[in-house]
Amino acid sequence: MDGLTAAESRELDQRLQKRQVKEFMSVFGNLVDNCFTACVDDFTSKALSGRESGCISRCVLKSMSTQTRLGERFGELNAAMTAEMQRR
Amino acid sequence: MFGLGRPQPTSAEKIAAVENELKVVAEMHSRMVKICTLKCIDKTYREGDLSKGESVCLDRCASKFFETHQKISDQLQKETQARGGGGFGM
Repeated sequence: MDGLTAAESRELDQRLQKRQVKEFMSVFGNLVDNCFTACVDDFTSKALSGRESGCISRCVLKSMSTQTRLGERFGELNAAMTAEMQRR
Repeated sequence: MFGLGRPQPTSAEKIAAVENELKVVAEMHSRMVKICTLKCIDKTYREGDLSKGESVCLDRCASKFFETHQKISDQLQKETQARGGGGFGM
């Protein structure tokens, strides 16, 4: 990839793995923030209500489907954009 | 080293260049997810599955996000060139 030596490639892989951990934590953090904001609005009890809990489960499922679907589209569009840039 | 050719980038520079390129793509991806979720996903979460309408909206949102990216990038390039490379105070 981009004319890196094996050692450079290994170094890059290590850095990318660290990034991936960070990225996962940020996706997880955003998920908590979004689903909490969308679903939790009743502070008359300290435990999540059945309604809130159900909402959170559905929010997580839907967000995962959203991530997957947008991930596919992003891959396609990014590949097309890269190809177009190289053609110019 | 011996005055031959242009200076070779160091290992650190080469790695940083690839890393940076990937970072730009990853950032664009996470911005798109955030924005298209806001634009398309019903916030009541009565359903755990994406509806047909939401799915179509996400696809179109992704497409338009890229088109907007390209359009603004082209326009900025044109403006910058028109101002003799010194556009937008950069």
